Amino acid sequence: MARLSFSPGMRGQFAAIAQVRWQLFVNRLRNIRGRLEMVARGFMFLGFAAAGLAGSVTLGALAWLFVTRGRLPWLAILLWFVFLFWQLFPVMATAFGETADSSGLLRFPLSFPSYFLVRLVYGALEPSTFLGSFWLLGFAVGIGIADSRYFLWAAIVLLAFAIFNILLARMIFAWVERWLAQRRSREILGAVFFVFIICFQFIGPLMSRVGRHSHPEMSRITTLALPYERAFPPGLAAEAISRAIQGAFAPALAAFALECVYALAILWLLNVRLRAQYHGENLSEAMARSTSPKEKRAIRFGWNVSGIPGSVAAILEKEFHYLSRSGPMLFTFVMPVVILLIFRLGPQTSAKQGNFLAHAPDLAFPVGSAYALLVLTNLVYNCFGADAVGMQLFFVSPVSFREILLGKNLAHTLVLACEVIAIWIAVCFMFHPPAIDITLATVTGVGFALLLNLTAGNLLSIYTPKKIDYGAFGKQRAATITVFASLGIQAAVFGLAAITLLIARAFGSIWIATVIFLILSGLAAIGYNMVLNRADRIALDRRDAILAELCRA
Amino acid sequence: MDAPAIATQGLTRRFGDLVAVQDVNLSVAPGQFFGFLGPNGAGKSTTIKMLTGLLAASSGSIQVLGLDLAKNPVEVKRQIGVVPEGLALFGRLTGAEYLNFVGRMYGLDRETAGKRTAELLDFMQLAEQPKTLVTDYSHGMQKKLALAAAVIHGPRILFLDEPFEGVDAIASGTLKAMLQRMIARGATIFLTSHVLEIVERLCSHLAIIHKGRLVAQGSLEELRAGVEAQAAAALAGASPGESPSAPGEKLTLEEIFLRIVGGTRHADQELSWLG
Repeated sequence: MARLSFSPGMRGQFAAIAQVRWQLFVNRLRNIRGRLEMVARGFMFLGFAAAGLAGSVTLGALAWLFVTRGRLPWLAILLWFVFLFWQLFPVMATAFGETADSSGLLRFPLSFPSYFLVRLVYGALEPSTFLGSFWLLGFAVGIGIADSRYFLWAAIVLLAFAIFNILLARMIFAWVERWLAQRRSREILGAVFFVFIICFQFIGPLMSRVGRHSHPEMSRITTLALPYERAFPPGLAAEAISRAIQGAFAPALAAFALECVYALAILWLLNVRLRAQYHGENLSEAMARSTSPKEKRAIRFGWNVSGIPGSVAAILEKEFHYLSRSGPMLFTFVMPVVILLIFRLGPQTSAKQGNFLAHAPDLAFPVGSAYALLVLTNLVYNCFGADAVGMQLFFVSPVSFREILLGKNLAHTLVLACEVIAIWIAVCFMFHPPAIDITLATVTGVGFALLLNLTAGNLLSIYTPKKIDYGAFGKQRAATITVFASLGIQAAVFGLAAITLLIARAFGSIWIATVIFLILSGLAAIGYNMVLNRADRIALDRRDAILAELCRA
Repeated sequence: MDAPAIATQGLTRRFGDLVAVQDVNLSVAPGQFFGFLGPNGAGKSTTIKMLTGLLAASSGSIQVLGLDLAKNPVEVKRQIGVVPEGLALFGRLTGAEYLNFVGRMYGLDRETAGKRTAELLDFMQLAEQPKTLVTDYSHGMQKKLALAAAVIHGPRILFLDEPFEGVDAIASGTLKAMLQRMIARGATIFLTSHVLEIVERLCSHLAIIHKGRLVAQGSLEELRAGVEAQAAAALAGASPGESPSAPGEKLTLEEIFLRIVGGTRHADQELSWLG
């Protein structure tokens, strides 16, 4: 195991790393875009701070309540919640996080303990650590208010629990990072992750289904499973605190010791992974494939799409090749149908239980379609992000940006069309076939929203591009400005859609919504065309900034 | 006489207060293998980016095959092929898909693009791994693919930014053979490289840029004669042993380059703290 001691040389290295991180931060503020990004991040920080404060107060209040009311076993529920959040949030919120790559430090004469510590600190600086720590602090304070004698003990136990969480999150990321280092394993892992996420979505509906009926076998399983919960760190931490409050100090100490053993085991696993990285590991992706001479000589023609120029067809084909090789992105396209299935499996009886589609199945098609459009915005608002250095080709080739954007927009429109058809079929099976007036109103509404999003997306793709890798897990973050602009556009779209539907409702005919959406689509089409006509000029004016962002290493 | 393949007038590019390229007047005749040299940060890549439309000029004009690049960008781009610094590859396509894509972007029909793709992959010895994505290619393979993409539409001018950097001897031989074949067929090649031996062997004409300004332009012989004349004038009256080159020996391109940009080899200098 790594033994950490700080020689003057190590301190100098840490200072240098801290200084370079600070310089990177300051240098990002040099241009307007960097400053705007910082403002956007400031808002995000405020959001996290609010969540941290609210969570801390809530957990503190609940801990106080459970201790004063003698419901000590319930403390475990709170710690399980913190644990799950701490481990799952970094994975699920990759859009907000920016992972600092510390592997480049290996070329410097860093000792292993230094490298280990840097990796640990680099990774720990993320919202889940701050939120989790803050919540645990609130939890400890809650216990302290309930009974001040146990504040110190609770703080020690929760500190160990926090360290365990930090180490576990780092350990998971270090191993996942190793698998992500190779494209193929990265894509497999991405697929597995999204299957996991999809399965995770079904837990709620299935539990609520089970909960509506009496299932003695489920109660038996729960009773049997409960003691095992205490064998895991969240349960152990809760056990250490509650036993101490009950005056049973030996079991409390034992639970705490076991919690520490878990932390040490995780530390060892992290050590194994980081030591392999430190000593250099061969993650070559070079492949030796035997290819038949026939396959070698085969001539492959591009797609033949009649009615559109060859260059637009080429872009369309390229976009579909990219999408078909982007595992994580493909799985997001499955989500709208999955969401409908989740609603379908959810409780069907009471509106209070939140399943509004059970009471308004007519809304299933519009809701599913709107969700599909939301998923697509990820692509639309940063449509050059995945092209990276390939962007240079667009500037040196004799093709206008109008054509390039048309090709990309066409690809995105086809994806959405396929999704809307899939959703329509799914709604037919899961609920009932949507009425013709609702179908038409939805299609025209989605058409209007798509045109508006494509218009804004084309502009933002040129103004705030961000290099991304759709195939790599956690590398799909659009520029923060784009994220906020996208939210604004969605709010406008949904606002207009709501007003339209209210007007239609006031007149008692959904057909009016179709007409209004058609008019809005016409207006949006004019705006779309105007942006397309100016795309070349804007792209050429901004080519320095675009290429600087997309061609960076 | 034919119009120059490439001609610039007062070409200037500023980045804020920094003048990266200043008042450059270049002239490259059709059919020339033209080497564009300069020390690091001299303005080579900035110039080539402006010539290929990747970067806007702050002032000055660029004529390519008699066409003004600013007024006829699409027509100019149709006539040129480019291997830029970052290679402009799409990592998540296979080599064949990428070449097909580029061919069609340059206006080839799908049959022609498909046939040329197969020929180029074969010529560049990239046909062995038809299903491998470009991102999984080695650096040398990516360079060869980028060059294949730059020539798929049969350009009249080829711009190459450091084409031999990071390429092994075998791949380098393939690239050189192909470039010489293009020159033999009347194409013009504009190349930047730090490998002066390769430039000396391949290029018929040269230009040297230093601190953003064009400091020399002409054939290798003209540059050599200029340097020798300048040195002779400077050494007039000095002892014969201080002539720019030993009697009967020609100055190499490296020596010419160092004399023009005023660099020294620093061979006699030493760092007090380094061994």
